Amino acid sequence: MIRIGNVIVSEGKGGVYGEKMLRGYRVWDPYRSKFAALAKINDETDLEEGWDVLYLGAANGTTVSHFADYVRTVYAVEFAPRPMQDLIEVSERRKNIVPIMADATRPGEYAAFVTEVDMIYQDVAQPDQAGIAISNLPFLKSGGLLVLMLKTRSVDVCETPESVFEESKAILESAGLKIDFSCWLKPYHKDHGCIVCRKP
Amino acid sequence: MQRYWFGDITDDGECRPLSRDPEELIERCRSLEPDMKTFVPFSPEKVIGCSGYTTREEYTGVLRKVCISLAREKITEYYSAGDLELIQMVRMLNELDHVINLLVERGMEWYIVRNPDFSRKYKNMNQKKVIGMMRRQKRTGLSSIAAEIDALSDKRTRLMKEISARAADVAPNCSEIVGGLVAARLISSAGGLRELAFLPASAIQVTGAESALFTHLKGGTPSPKHGIIFQHRRVHNADRAVRGKVARVVAGKLGIAARIDYFRGEVDPEFLEKAQERIDFVFAGGEVE
Repeated sequence: MIRIGNVIVSEGKGGVYGEKMLRGYRVWDPYRSKFAALAKINDETDLEEGWDVLYLGAANGTTVSHFADYVRTVYAVEFAPRPMQDLIEVSERRKNIVPIMADATRPGEYAAFVTEVDMIYQDVAQPDQAGIAISNLPFLKSGGLLVLMLKTRSVDVCETPESVFEESKAILESAGLKIDFSCWLKPYHKDHGCIVCRKP
Repeated sequence: MQRYWFGDITDDGECRPLSRDPEELIERCRSLEPDMKTFVPFSPEKVIGCSGYTTREEYTGVLRKVCISLAREKITEYYSAGDLELIQMVRMLNELDHVINLLVERGMEWYIVRNPDFSRKYKNMNQKKVIGMMRRQKRTGLSSIAAEIDALSDKRTRLMKEISARAADVAPNCSEIVGGLVAARLISSAGGLRELAFLPASAIQVTGAESALFTHLKGGTPSPKHGIIFQHRRVHNADRAVRGKVARVVAGKLGIAARIDYFRGEVDPEFLEKAQERIDFVFAGGEVE
């Protein structure tokens, strides 16, 4: 990752969503983007130039636009029409974003468009987030990374975030994934956990 | 055989790229949904050589065109449904109510400073009267703002009528049971007619009472008996003793009505008559077996 002092930035033409610029780089705000928060917490976090990334829950495409500055291709899957309009707008400016309107819980809907990828990044507000990640594993190369941003409140509002976090980790491990790193995204995002795993 | 957006790859590994015309590809991709059990993802190493494109940029370029067109199609289709505008109308109505209340409250504070002996507390004054009183503060900013609030209230009333009429069109059976406005509010809260039709009756009964419902689920408070449907006269006019029952029956009938509206889209007089009868029966204190 490119860092200026302790600010995480990305290269590329600015003015995508009103982000600040710093010495010609686009500032990647950890309070806005969970991936930037992860990069703040864990110095090892990286995005490599030749990677293809499957991004589930792309929303308006703010984080997607930063990903696109780093990697080769981003397959951005989003289900809701409203943010999809914004996402198409963003992908007009970044030639390596492939916006796909489909449901992340049904990988068959977009399987024909996605190649094997080096990383799956998931940020969806759904109850069964670990299950969705597992059903998308066929797209991941062996040795590839799965980064799951766990919205614990979407899984179950009545459970404590901690128990949801532990349970999700157990589900991922039982699917044969190896957990590299996990943490809470405090203080940037409330009740959001992050689990980084590797496909053997 | 594996099917991808650009063409097929046979089990022997033979690549069969199709035309490069985005129009033809879009046509193919509309119905392309491989079975994940047997699906093998396309390898990025094969992009050049197998897909018929000479560079990675070219491959991604055409893929983007296809995906963007497909997404645009889906968005257009989504917005063409009749309930979406209804939802926006309901949300606008709620917003108008909120704004009008705020403005009246603030205007009242202002009025009191100009008229120190006035107290609204023990007077029975509705909003209309209060606005009229503010308008009589001639040649002040307050008076002209009050005129604006008045105009806004008229627009609100007009919007409300428009919503009722539109709801009768989008969800005729639901509107017949609880009235257009309540039906529209339910659709808005569920997120659409389809979403409402797929809700269980118990959820319809308490939509709009989410905060009470979640306090109930988290701690031992009693569950809410009614949400938005409380606004229907058969629910709020019912005796306390039977109000919960009436709410449950109304919600049950609404659940059926929403499904008729979504799947059939026309009035079902026979169902409506029976439903109304049932609601009236429970309302009058009749026992539900």
